[in-house]
Order: sequence, then C-alpha cells, then structure tokens
Amino acid sequence: MIADNLPALQVVLPLLGAVVCAMLRRGTLAWGVALIVSLLMPLCAIGLLLEVLENGTISYAFGGWPPPIGIEYRVDIINAFLLLLVSLIGAVIMPYAKSSVEAEIAPENHAWFYAIYLLCLCGLLGIAITGDAFNVFVFMEISSLATYALIAMGRDRRALLAAYQYLVVGTIGATMYVIGVGFLYSMTGSLNLVDIAGRLADIENSRAVMAALAFLTVGISLKLALFPLHVWLPNAYAYAPSMVTSFLAATATKVAVYLLLRYYFSVFGVAVVFEELPVTEILLFLSLAAMFGASIIAIFQEDAKRMLAYSSVAQIGYITLGIALANQSGLTGGIVHLFNHALMKGALFMALGAVFYRIGTVKIDDLAGLGKKMPITMGAFVLAGLSVIGVPGTVGFVSKWYLGLGAFENGWWWLAFLIVISSLISVVYVGRIVEVVWFRPISQAARSAKEPPLGMLLPTLLLTAATVYFGFDTTASAGIAGRAAELLLAGLR
Amino acid sequence: MEIGLSHYLTVAAILFTLGVFGIFLNRKNVIVILMSIELMLLAVNINMVAFSVHLGDMVGQVFALLILTVAAAEAAIGLAIVVVYYRNRGSIAVEDINLMKG
Repeated sequence: MIADNLPALQVVLPLLGAVVCAMLRRGTLAWGVALIVSLLMPLCAIGLLLEVLENGTISYAFGGWPPPIGIEYRVDIINAFLLLLVSLIGAVIMPYAKSSVEAEIAPENHAWFYAIYLLCLCGLLGIAITGDAFNVFVFMEISSLATYALIAMGRDRRALLAAYQYLVVGTIGATMYVIGVGFLYSMTGSLNLVDIAGRLADIENSRAVMAALAFLTVGISLKLALFPLHVWLPNAYAYAPSMVTSFLAATATKVAVYLLLRYYFSVFGVAVVFEELPVTEILLFLSLAAMFGASIIAIFQEDAKRMLAYSSVAQIGYITLGIALANQSGLTGGIVHLFNHALMKGALFMALGAVFYRIGTVKIDDLAGLGKKMPITMGAFVLAGLSVIGVPGTVGFVSKWYLGLGAFENGWWWLAFLIVISSLISVVYVGRIVEVVWFRPISQAARSAKEPPLGMLLPTLLLTAATVYFGFDTTASAGIAGRAAELLLAGLR
Repeated sequence: MEIGLSHYLTVAAILFTLGVFGIFLNRKNVIVILMSIELMLLAVNINMVAFSVHLGDMVGQVFALLILTVAAAEAAIGLAIVVVYYRNRGSIAVEDINLMKG
C-alpha cells in the first residue's frame, strides 16, 4: 500500500508537514515536525530509486485519474536521482537548522519559518516528480513563493530588497514558462509531458513550437541563473538566513536544471533542440561566459557568502556546459555535477553559516585567523573549497573529468583546455579565503570565536566527507548519472 | 470583421510587451513593477482562454483561474515585502536599491 503510493507521499508529506507546523505555533515543536518529515523524505526517494533501477519508469496516476487527462507523476532514473539529492540535502540540513534559525530569526517566527521551508521542499520535490507541464508551473510557484518569504526573513535589512528583486525576476521567469506551456497546449491540446512529446513528433516545427521552446528556455534559465540571467542570485544568497542559503544553493537551481533537461531531451528531443537549432552554440557560449565571468567577479567580492554565490553561478556554467555538449560523457558530467555541486556548495555555505553563528559576520576581512579558533569548521571549508577547484580525490574532479571527456568526444580539445583554465581562476578565490583564514593574525571579530554546536558541525562534516567519498567511489553518483544520460540521449531522436 | 484567435493573441502580446517595458523602463516605483508583472500574467491568461476557446477544450480556462490565483499570491508577497520595507525605512523609492551594491 505505502510502496504503491510513494510518489504521492514524496510530495504530500511535506505539504501536510507545513500545515502542521503552521498550526503548532511553537518553534521547537515545529522543528521536530520538520525534522521528522525531512528524515522520511530520503526513505521515499530511496524506495523510488530502487524501484526505478529494478523495474524501469514508474507512472502514478494522481487520484486514480488516468493520464493524459489526470495529473501523472512520472519517475525515471533522472528524477529519482534528483529526488534523492533534494531530500538528502533536506534531511542533512534540518539538524543544522535548529541552532542557526534560533540565532538568526525572531522566536515568534520560527514555526512559520519551518512551515514555509517545508512548502519550499514540497515545491522542489513536486517539480522533480510531476509529469504534467502545468503542474510543474504550480509547484514552481509554490517553491518560488516560499523562497521569496524565506529570503526576506534574513537579518540584514537588504534581505528584503534581495527578496523583492528575486520576486520580480522569478515571476518573470515563471510567466515566460507558463507562456511556453500555453503555446505547447495550443499546438498539441495536451499538458502531459509524455503526451506532448508524442504529439509534437507529428507536428512540423512551426513557429509556435519554436516560440514555446524559446519562452521555456528563457523562463527556466532565469530560475537556474544561467549567466546573463543570474543577477538575482548573489543578493538572494548573500542576505538570506544561512540555513536557507545552504538549502537553496544545494537544491533550487539543480531542480531548474533538471527541468531544462526534461524539456530539451524528453519533450522537444535532441534532434530539434541540438541539431536544427543553434542551442549548442548559445549554451556553450553562455556556459563559458559563466565559468569565466562569474569566477572573475567572485575574486573581487568582500563578503564570503557573495563570493560563493558568484562561484555558484560559475559552477552552474559547468552543468549547462554538460548539457550543451549533448553527448554521453558530457551529459554524464553535467548530471553528476548537479549532485557534486549540491554537496560541495551545501558544505561550504553550512561552514559559513557556522562562522556567522559564532562571529555574526562573513566579511572576508573579519574571517582572518579563524582557522586557529574554529579549526574543524574551517578545515571542512577548505576541503569543500578544494572540491570547487576540482582537485583529484574530490567530487569536483570527477565532474570535470567527465566534462573534459565529453569535450574530447566532440573533438573540442580547446574546451577541455578552457575547463582547466577556469578551474585555475577558482584557485584564486578559494585560495584567498584559505590565506586569510589560516595565515593572518586573528581579527577583532574572530577573537572570541569557538567551534559551533555539534548540531551544526556534524551536518557540515557529513557533507564534506561526502565530497571526498564520492570523489573516490564514483560507482553510485557517476554510475546513476551515466544511466540517466543514456536514457536522456536515447529518449527522442 | 470577425474577431478570431489572432486578434486575442495580438492583444495579449501587446499587454505582455507593455508589462515587460513597465519593468525595464520604470526605475522609480516598486508598486508599478508589481503592476507590470501582473499585466504580464494577465496577458498569459488571455492567451490561455483564447487557446481554450480555439481548441474547444475547457482545460485552458481552468488553468487561467489557477494562474489568477498564483498572480494574487505573488502580489500578496510582493506587497508584504514592500510594507515591511516601508516600516523599516519610511520610503519605498527604488533609489535605495543602491544599498545592494557591496
């Protein structure tokens, strides 16, 4: 019974959890509920992934209404992998949230905070699991609206402006997305993704279909912060509460990338997107611009959180580069980087959150000498930082290895060269923090710092350990990513 | 002259463009930005309803209602942020956005 309804539970549990949290009104109780829900999520996701690996795609008709009329939840290897990623990050972050939220958010808002957080989780998981184009829009809005509220809860006054900026940009993105869906609906008369894909094959590529593709691409790119559309991201990440930053950095943009993959490979098909249209060239150019532009901007940031936010934009460039390559190794690299980037950015932002918890600032100058006061946290920070650079033995290397292979597979050796150079730029900004933290005299702000409470330290260390573990044992991450890439490329020709 | 699908789509396209221009040209008032966003979503709604009538399928109109709900939620959050911001600073002029640099 439960096993049959896992796809529904994956989304309904956080939704109900949010309602319960909102009614409890007591911060600690709400945290307990959120913790239980967050710990149940990976169980659902693992169940789904095992089922998919064994029996292939699961199709779940919501409420018993058969697709394409009813809403279908459709789980294949790609989104099972993504569901597992999002729910694992959610589960790891919850124990961390308690101290962090107590320090950064007014006590009367705690229950609301957890309620909104669960709504955000519900929206992200919903986007990943659903097989209905309009349903994606609804879940996208659930997660985005929740995200705006979460960002606005930041302690800094500028958090409000950052949230407003994201609200404006995010809504434009969602509007573009829904126009795209509208055009698809007008051409096919269907909203089920599989059904749309089937019917599109019979229609010649009219202008309306091209317009739909263009609107969908721009809309989703706004959500995933593709290079020139990334302006909302640095402010949103820098001023949001620490726990929110870690969660969003690890999940929100990844889900948007998945959506792009879904539309490109499963709905429109490789032949239309990559062979008839110049999507490869455009994505390649923008990805390279992100890898270089955003990395260079990151070097000049004064605030460590902002610096990592720009680094996130650069890392998203690697993921979209994998999509642009559109071959087996390149796509594997892109998908495995989804997973790897979530791990390392999660760990980095959590470590910074711990610093913020102790010294109340993350300005790079104030971090001076912190290595002597918080050696474990900063050690974790350095390890995850090495992973951003892509040092062998960390997850960053695995993704870049596959991306490089993908570049050679297309015969673009210069691209592999550029990947290496852009990694060297990240050496500069990670190195800058390492120098400040370990080799400078202790700053005024850092004088009384000590290690954060265990609840914050352990999740940070867990994610850091994962960045090293998956750097050596790639059978799970790269293996599944490889199968997902195979499935995507085989999907539609 | 009979009014057909293309007329509705043209109106929607004009509204949408107005909305986009409203966001990019307006640098003073955050409320106008919210209104422009609303305009864009309403343009999409006109599209949806026009397609729905064109295809003879009610689904599009159901979704138009859902989009309205979403637009309302969006405006509610946007206005809430503006109210909190006004309480903090006593003004909602966008020039203060310069605070975002650095």
